[in-house]
Amino acid sequence: MSLLHSRIQLQLNGKPVAVDAVPEDVSMVDFLREYLNMTGTRMSCGQGICHACVVIVDNPDGSSETVRSCITGAHFFNGKKVRTVEGHALVEAQTEAARLTALQDAFLKNYAFQCSYCTPGFVNEATVLLERLKLQPIAKNQVEQTITDALDSHLCRCTGYVRYFEAIKQVILATPGLVKE
Amino acid sequence: MSDNQTKVKHSVRLCAASLLGMSVLLAGCDSGSKGSDAAKPVASAASIARGRYLATAADCISCHSEAGKGAFSGGYAIETPYGFIYGSNITPDKETGIGRYTRDDLYRVLHSGKRPNGSPLYPAMPYISYQLISREDSDAIYDYLMAQPAIKHANKPLGFGFPFNLRWSMLGWQLLYLHAPDFPPANSAETRRGAYLANGLAHCAECHTPRNVLGALKQDAFFKGAMIGRYEAPDITPAALSQRGWTQKDLAALLSSGLAPQGSAYADMFPAVHNSTRYLTPSDINSLVRYISGPNGLAAPAPVKAAALSDSVKHNGLKTYANLCANCHGFAGEGKPHVAPAMVGNSSLRLASAHNLLVTLLSGVAAQQFGTIESMQAMPGMPKQVSDQEVADLANTLRAQWGGQAPSVTADDVSKLRSSHAN
Repeated sequence: MSLLHSRIQLQLNGKPVAVDAVPEDVSMVDFLREYLNMTGTRMSCGQGICHACVVIVDNPDGSSETVRSCITGAHFFNGKKVRTVEGHALVEAQTEAARLTALQDAFLKNYAFQCSYCTPGFVNEATVLLERLKLQPIAKNQVEQTITDALDSHLCRCTGYVRYFEAIKQVILATPGLVKE
Repeated sequence: MSDNQTKVKHSVRLCAASLLGMSVLLAGCDSGSKGSDAAKPVASAASIARGRYLATAADCISCHSEAGKGAFSGGYAIETPYGFIYGSNITPDKETGIGRYTRDDLYRVLHSGKRPNGSPLYPAMPYISYQLISREDSDAIYDYLMAQPAIKHANKPLGFGFPFNLRWSMLGWQLLYLHAPDFPPANSAETRRGAYLANGLAHCAECHTPRNVLGALKQDAFFKGAMIGRYEAPDITPAALSQRGWTQKDLAALLSSGLAPQGSAYADMFPAVHNSTRYLTPSDINSLVRYISGPNGLAAPAPVKAAALSDSVKHNGLKTYANLCANCHGFAGEGKPHVAPAMVGNSSLRLASAHNLLVTLLSGVAAQQFGTIESMQAMPGMPKQVSDQEVADLANTLRAQWGGQAPSVTADDVSKLRSSHAN
């Protein structure tokens, strides 16, 4: 199978990015790390199982979803709007000081991650969950099951699950509009 | 539903309704012929162990167990053209299971498709095949089932619409079809054992043989493949097997492990291997494969000759393959051990129909544990952003390049399957 090189153009964390002549067999995680020097996205299992590598794709209809970057080719993202873990916190242009999102803050306060390897995946997946609930709020008694279902596929070898769970639950309950009264 | 299917369903209704006239209404309950705690023959440990092997070879557990409930306690949903039917509780529970059955009762169920009270079973229970089971083996299966824990789990009601829900009409069906099928012959002691396993216990024909409008196996098309649920159970006649690259050695590997160079057992074949065939002795596997391979054995498979494909389809197909498939199935289609099967030499790509490939592409495959350290990881279905044309180009590229099949899939085929799955 002879592979071509072609151009990739996408919106990454709100900014346009274009790279010429990217081989068509480059995975998204390699593209981010090796071509763009965006090392927040991590290669973990390499088989689409652990979900540590997921990135966010913003769909034209306003919804967002995660895609596993280790088993998905970089060219799949051509023309799409993509967010990675680097794209969440607001960074002050002059001082480069970062203002974390409520979710990142809650992860820190709950000491949700230990070795941190799976964290980018959890941050992205939980962010997508919050965005979904903003569009489609749920009843309060569905919160725990909804978190479990949304995060179920993410693996954490330090077993920080309960703390991730608690952090996400706190954010959902504290953010207006995500839960129906 | 296509017009053809509608017609078939309609004509089935008419036939089934007319069969009602032939049926005899009997009263009674399904309580076992003795209907009491009459002393049962004491089963020997040897008979129970033999029964366990035979019940495994007959794969009772796959249809008579529901995920999360106890083994043999029923509830598994079987999809048929007439609606859903559920495997029954065959644990020794006296109220909801078969605890009041005698050995004679079980033999009668397996051979005449009738419960102790005479009410007929639908042929979702493969008694057309089980008729071949010997009295001795039936008794051993009985001894094994009666040695299992009794689980109280009420049977689910039949999900068939009128007139198929009229159980007694099946007496008419049985008048027409309850006779030993004319399976392909076996001509040596070894293939006779293989035929007994394949046609009786393992009931291969029940999925791999097309059925007529009344749901009876077509006598002139044994093993020629049939739609079963959402997938096509492929043609397993000797010619078709060798056309798809199978050898006897590889068939034996598939049945005993779930994996072969031609791919992994998936769809309904996965539970058949997982719960049944992998427990067969090497000698029984060998006999079964010898029988399925026909009197002359399988011809040496011819290498795949890639089919012609336009440059644009190939370009688009390979691009989608690189983006969404290759990180697991390999950029040269070589597969990844314990992750995803190879596409080079894959049996499903060599099927005349692209149906199974398309269903797999659209729906993915659940993770598979093969009971050893061997496993295959979950395959995600195609994301909705991938257009029907892109899926068609991918399917045509895979089939032409690695299956030698003409690129016949259209965007319309993909669109139809997508909407039927969404419903």
